[in-house]
Amino acid sequence: MDTLKVRDAKDVEAVVRAAIAGEQPLEIIGHGSKRLIGQPMATNALLDLSALNAVTSYEPNELIITVQAGAPLADVQSLIDSRNQQFAFEPVDTAPLLGAPNVGTVGGMIGAGLAGPRRIRAGGARDHLLGAHGVSGFGDSFKAGGRVVKNVTGYDLCKLLAGSWGTLAVMTEVTLKVMPRPESERTLVLRGLNDVTANRAMTAALGSPFDVSGAAHLPNSALRADISELGGLGSTREAVTVLRLEGIAASAAHRAAALGKLLAPFGTAQIVEDAASAGIWSSVRDVLPFAAGGALGSWPVWRIVCPPASGGALGEQLARDTGGDVIYDWGGGLIWAALPQKPDAGAALVRQRVNAAGGHATLVRASDEVRRNVDVFHPQPAGIAGLSERVRQSFDPKSILNRGRMIRGSAA
Amino acid sequence: MAIMMPVPDQAVLNRRETIVAALRAIVPGEGVIDSPAEMAPYESDGLMAYRQPPMVVVLPDTTEQVSQVLKYCFEQGIKVVPRGSGTSLSGGALPLADGVLLGLGKFKRIREIDFDNRVVVTEPGVTNLAISQAVAHAGYYYAPDPSSQIACSIGGNVAENSGGVHCLKYGMTTNNVLGCEIVLITGEVIRVGGKSAETSGYDLMGIITGSEGLLGVITEITVRILQKPETARALMVGFAEVEAAGECVARIIGAGIIPGGMEMMDKPAIHAAEAFVHAGYPLDVEALLIIELDGPGIEVDELIKRVEAIAQGCGSTTCQISNSETERNLFWAGRKAAFPAVGRISPDYLCMDGTIPRGKLPEALARIRDLSAKYDLRVANVFHAGDGNLHPLILYDANKPGEMERAEAFGADILRACVELGGVLTGEHGVGIEKRDLMPEMFSEIDLNQQQRLKCAFDAQGLLNPGKVFPTLHRCAELGRMHVHGGKLAFPELPRF
Repeated sequence: MDTLKVRDAKDVEAVVRAAIAGEQPLEIIGHGSKRLIGQPMATNALLDLSALNAVTSYEPNELIITVQAGAPLADVQSLIDSRNQQFAFEPVDTAPLLGAPNVGTVGGMIGAGLAGPRRIRAGGARDHLLGAHGVSGFGDSFKAGGRVVKNVTGYDLCKLLAGSWGTLAVMTEVTLKVMPRPESERTLVLRGLNDVTANRAMTAALGSPFDVSGAAHLPNSALRADISELGGLGSTREAVTVLRLEGIAASAAHRAAALGKLLAPFGTAQIVEDAASAGIWSSVRDVLPFAAGGALGSWPVWRIVCPPASGGALGEQLARDTGGDVIYDWGGGLIWAALPQKPDAGAALVRQRVNAAGGHATLVRASDEVRRNVDVFHPQPAGIAGLSERVRQSFDPKSILNRGRMIRGSAA
Repeated sequence: MAIMMPVPDQAVLNRRETIVAALRAIVPGEGVIDSPAEMAPYESDGLMAYRQPPMVVVLPDTTEQVSQVLKYCFEQGIKVVPRGSGTSLSGGALPLADGVLLGLGKFKRIREIDFDNRVVVTEPGVTNLAISQAVAHAGYYYAPDPSSQIACSIGGNVAENSGGVHCLKYGMTTNNVLGCEIVLITGEVIRVGGKSAETSGYDLMGIITGSEGLLGVITEITVRILQKPETARALMVGFAEVEAAGECVARIIGAGIIPGGMEMMDKPAIHAAEAFVHAGYPLDVEALLIIELDGPGIEVDELIKRVEAIAQGCGSTTCQISNSETERNLFWAGRKAAFPAVGRISPDYLCMDGTIPRGKLPEALARIRDLSAKYDLRVANVFHAGDGNLHPLILYDANKPGEMERAEAFGADILRACVELGGVLTGEHGVGIEKRDLMPEMFSEIDLNQQQRLKCAFDAQGLLNPGKVFPTLHRCAELGRMHVHGGKLAFPELPRF
């Protein structure tokens, strides 16, 4: 495998143009932290962006930061944290789940577009990407969007780049919206609810005016090890439902009390504050119960997105019928499912159930062999699939960039 | 007309009667309008300086009819201009002489209210405000609130990615829509997204939103609804200098406070508004900020104190804080009536819509002042200061020869200045025809070609709303051509591993 470590956008253009001429597809990587997600690719050259790692500009008062795509996410997060700011969509650190060494780069974060618990309130990666520079599969540098929050000039190409897994363009620089970090947080913990009831409790909380910024449920599980995986919430033998409130201390406390009253029919809520609360949410965000190093580390993991109010029933049945384990985020709208090993990772059953619920499922963790035989990304109806392929070709007609990563059978 | 539209296709115009008959076979009764008198209301949208009667108006009321109309137009090579309520301020719904004007006004039904999933599924002709009204009994509302919300349609909002006063905190349309049913020019009906937080695969909803009617015709939309904040209070703060007001905006944001709305008006706008609505605006200040905080009462009270202190630190000369809904609404009354108020002091005005980085507000204002002197035209400024979105209102008299052209040139210079200051041509009104020819100020030919290739993926023959957004139309085949540069994977100078 040839690794081409580019130094600037011009290098990227040159590499992509040569790849076009040589009809050689390229695999685009930053730190390679998410290489195990997607259909296995048949490339023999890596375009390595990790040297494009500069922070171009950071303007806290403008709520924006512009960084090169290969900038380490951990460093950028420390930088904005030092000014009490954050990426409000809580990017998922997939390293524990995949057993990768680190959280990866900013470009990878956008390309994967995996948002954490606060997505229900603050939106996803796509909502925070204001602008990007990249090189298309034509070998041309282009820009999308701008450096201001409010912009409707031309098509919003940033939306397409977020979550496109490097199949449309090689992003070289991105401008992201940053938001103030809340001054304090409170988490309400309810115990012992079954999945469907927990889903109802989360629905009630999210339908309240208390501005809930996280709503997750972890069923009791005999499968997971009894570790301190949830910020010290205790035994996994008891289900926990957690609801987060953020803001200035007085407001978070006031809303926590009000929400506790609203949820009284579901039991008495324990209230966890600040650092302990943050620990719970980073565990949920990074799916630590299914970590590669944990008891279920060898099981395939699905990421299911569905209408939130139907999540409880969908997940509960899926866990029961497969003998697997699930956890819920986004008030039921996101289900992480670890299923026992099977040649198809349970794809047939998962997809049938998820389709019926109006959702979609991505196989986030599985062996190369399984991923070769299963659609990693949710198969789409013909109309959308056709349109999406035309959209892809409008950026990369020769399929030079991450060829075949999103569509099974298109790697050849 | 300063803007050149595509040359009408005489062959299509010659077939007008056949076309009208064919459309009547698809949309029966009064759904096809071809008499000049009845078509008159469709000649223009909110950009009223531009008028053009369409070849024919079609008002379908089912997705199936939309699909058949588009399929017919596709097969016959007829251009189509979609239209919602016709409130576009950038000419997005300006008809074409040889085009079908496809109005979605009959799609007026809210199809489903789903409180458990916190979404509303609606037809595109429903007004923005009607969605909020339909869910108000349960404490919900639809957040984006363009000032035309009483009239503008949700379909038009999606097409334009509309904003509003509250998008600093709650986002634009794109951040509040989850899915749609869209009919492509071929007649193919596609469903994108739904009640889930994210779509699978590429984010097509994201690219459809703000595509200004160039990619498809939307026939159903799923929007996210939110619970109304417990309370809202506003501060009205006056400054002797625009720079101080700009500094105040920056410090509020820098202190980690995101107000529900943060608006600025300059002296001419303050005076026009006060004369119109008598809101009690101070008349001896150069800039007025209206800052609204919303949320739980306990939080709002605390943030009001913090904002007041910041304003004092920036040298505010007056500061009033609302203590009732009546007072809060009074603070807003002048701002919300700013456009008609300016309409009273000038026969005509042009409303611009650039965005700049917040920190450049004073510089932008200074440039606008200079340009005002250069073009000898008055200007009143209202801004969504929180997100740097400027709405300079250029005052002119269309009856005076040359004034409209001068006003347009002034406006174009303002937008060029926005781009130079690190901003963009349009924050919420769209490109349409109004800013079409300024696109090269912001985008290179390569950038624009990439956007047009995307258009080709949806509409390879360029039949949907041609003449809007892009200054130069290219054939899709030409855009798709790949220029192969020689050489294999051979970069001796690159580090390898």
